[in-house]
Amino acid sequence: MAGLNPTLGAQVRVIGFLRWRLFVNSLRSVRGRLNLVSRAIAGVLVLGAGLGGGIALGAVAWGMTNEHQLNWLAVPFWLIFLFWQLFPVMATAFTQNIDASSLLRFPLSYPGYFFVRLIYGALDIATALGMCWCLGLVAGISAADLSLAPWALLAVAAFVIFNLSLARMIFVWIEHWLSSRRSREVMGVLFLLMMICFQVAGPVLGRYSKWAAPQRFAVLAKLLPLERVLPPGLAAGVIEKAVQGQHSSALLSAALIAFYTAGALWILHGRLRAQYRGESASAGEKPRALAVTNGAAIRRGWKLPLLSGAISAVFEKELRYFSRSGPMVFTLVMPVIMVFVLWGGRRALMGQQMNFVFPIGAAYCLLVMTNIVYNSFGADGGGVQFFLFSPVSFRQITAAKNLAQLTILALDVCILWLGVRLVFHAPPMRVIALTVAWLLFATPINFAIGNLLSVYSPKRIDYAVFGRQRASETTILVSLGVQMTVLGVGALALFLGRRYHTMWAATAMLATLALFSITAYFLLLARVTRIALARRDVLTTELFRA
Amino acid sequence: MDSPAILTEGLTRRFGDFTAVQDVNLSVAPGQFYGFLGPNGAGKSTTIKMLTGLMAPTAGRMQILGLDLATHLTEVKRQIGVVPEGMALFGRLTGSEYLNFAGRMYGLDRRTTAQRAAELLDFMELSQQPHTLITDYSHGMQKKLAMAAAVIHGPKVLFLDEPFEGVDAVASGTLKAMLQRMTARGVTIFLTSHVLEIVERLCTYVGIINNGRLVAQGSLDELRSGVVAGSATPAGEKMTLEEFFLHTVGGSRAATQELSWLG
Repeated sequence: MAGLNPTLGAQVRVIGFLRWRLFVNSLRSVRGRLNLVSRAIAGVLVLGAGLGGGIALGAVAWGMTNEHQLNWLAVPFWLIFLFWQLFPVMATAFTQNIDASSLLRFPLSYPGYFFVRLIYGALDIATALGMCWCLGLVAGISAADLSLAPWALLAVAAFVIFNLSLARMIFVWIEHWLSSRRSREVMGVLFLLMMICFQVAGPVLGRYSKWAAPQRFAVLAKLLPLERVLPPGLAAGVIEKAVQGQHSSALLSAALIAFYTAGALWILHGRLRAQYRGESASAGEKPRALAVTNGAAIRRGWKLPLLSGAISAVFEKELRYFSRSGPMVFTLVMPVIMVFVLWGGRRALMGQQMNFVFPIGAAYCLLVMTNIVYNSFGADGGGVQFFLFSPVSFRQITAAKNLAQLTILALDVCILWLGVRLVFHAPPMRVIALTVAWLLFATPINFAIGNLLSVYSPKRIDYAVFGRQRASETTILVSLGVQMTVLGVGALALFLGRRYHTMWAATAMLATLALFSITAYFLLLARVTRIALARRDVLTTELFRA
Repeated sequence: MDSPAILTEGLTRRFGDFTAVQDVNLSVAPGQFYGFLGPNGAGKSTTIKMLTGLMAPTAGRMQILGLDLATHLTEVKRQIGVVPEGMALFGRLTGSEYLNFAGRMYGLDRRTTAQRAAELLDFMELSQQPHTLITDYSHGMQKKLAMAAAVIHGPKVLFLDEPFEGVDAVASGTLKAMLQRMTARGVTIFLTSHVLEIVERLCTYVGIINNGRLVAQGSLDELRSGVVAGSATPAGEKMTLEEFFLHTVGGSRAATQELSWLG
């Protein structure tokens, strides 16, 4: 039938139009318009980082070329490469992405599909910055020696195409792995381990800094040959060899980059071809054998002394949710990591300063908890409807949630205390009292405001997912203000205590403030039911949003 | 005569300029199996949300079991069970944990909750996967679990929003039998469904909502005979529920329209 043979160009234009309409339609809501403002601000920042980084790298390249130090040119190439490939993974890998393979329901040819997937979302922040910085390198080298301009352009062009291809390949494979909840959780754990590695990197480097310089250089010397045969090293090699007049070697290096690019595209092709042939993105979700147990007895729910069955039920539900959440495990191990990090830098801590490891760690524990406290219905998703039609007031539900959060915080602080005691020495009683008084002041304030924001500005989150999951912009802003206030008050109390050599007076001051904050907490808690009922439309709509 | 189990007067809900439900007057007697029908976007889910306390009405009055929802919301909630549109499940609990949670939220003691949860899981054929998280359940299994949670406390009025959607034929038969036994014991069931055959087989009374207005309400026989206000069918002439529904909501246009280019 005539008219049923669309060209690739027409299909790409239609897909472009679709993306444009999605963007325009998103502006109908206030949230969409706020996101546009955020994007505009981010755009200005990216432009600044791109121009600034480009100029800085240009200056570095100019200096290296002028000083005949082109053997160091691999360093900026490696930095660009690592940023280009790691940043998108960190920023997007743990979110649930739109399944672009849904385009396959349309009569798209395979080359068309490959092309669309290659360019679909390719111009992200990392690509924009990476390209700006690469242009900076070309400009710097060309400014120092114009005869090198073609070689710099060749090296950078090959490097840019390689990075684009590799980034798309990584993205498509990660998208495949993340299509199942279980692999998302595995990635989450890997992310957690990576975070721990970053935290521990400082102490470990500090520990090995006592190595003699020749030893360190020996390790680097062993790594150099490996670095030279990888794309960033090869890109630097193109220019370096061109300077030395080894033009055929320079061309060979460029060809090797093209070879790596072909490899990345081939792996990308493997995944896309499988999708094109009918394997859906969610095929990664393999049916698992069901653990069949006949007549398994149902365990009774928890019973907390002095508390109602409903509060006990919500408390149990919250702790079960937390225990199955990667980020929550992260929250619990954080104090231990904190102690370890501080242990790495213990040589810098002098006498009295060691006493403040415990209060600093406790403040950090509370800070980590605010992620949950300020959006406490976020993980419930559609389940919030159950709270709304159950005969339990939101005041009770919120109190039970706060109780669960308080339990975790208390557990965190106990672990911290134990860690500090083992690694340093037991914190003096006056420091423990000061810390507890500050926690009694800061925690109810955070809970009170967190409860209000949880109802006023909820946002659906998944505890199993890491990454770009945040509370709403309003929540982040208010939370920041509250943290600055409570930390400021704590710091003031500490300063006054040290200034007048009476830590107990500072503790008394914080304890007095704690009375006010606890009163404020209960006053606000009493209003939560009324507010939640008034806001029930927002709660169900926002938390139901996929 | 008993007071209605569900009664609404002038029930209205507006979203800005758009009126989703307008001046709806429902009356459902105790023990009735009431089917609430309407085309997509007619206002069925909005009505059920208001009746279950998930959404506040803009105007009008609602009574469940003689209790005004505006003043006795918690008392009403104790006596109703709900399977809402989104099922209201907590994905990262197991089925038994969720039922344990639900029972205790409705005030059952731990022993009774555990006992009923075990029975319900067995009845719904969900007991063979005690360690599977709800998020890993199939859609049909989630529907069955939501139904189990809605009845664990023995409600007097049950609100079901599309309860059979995605449920297999075997489970569907089990659920229908359970619901019929419940109405025989005096439980009132308020059900929305797009599947008219289900409504025709289960419900004794039907209400039809279109463009936010209740356009017909009565027993199945009354509707089929055309004696219900809003129906233009001559009395005495029996119709199927589908014919009556299409006639009432103006579906005949779509049936007679043709797309000439379709093979």
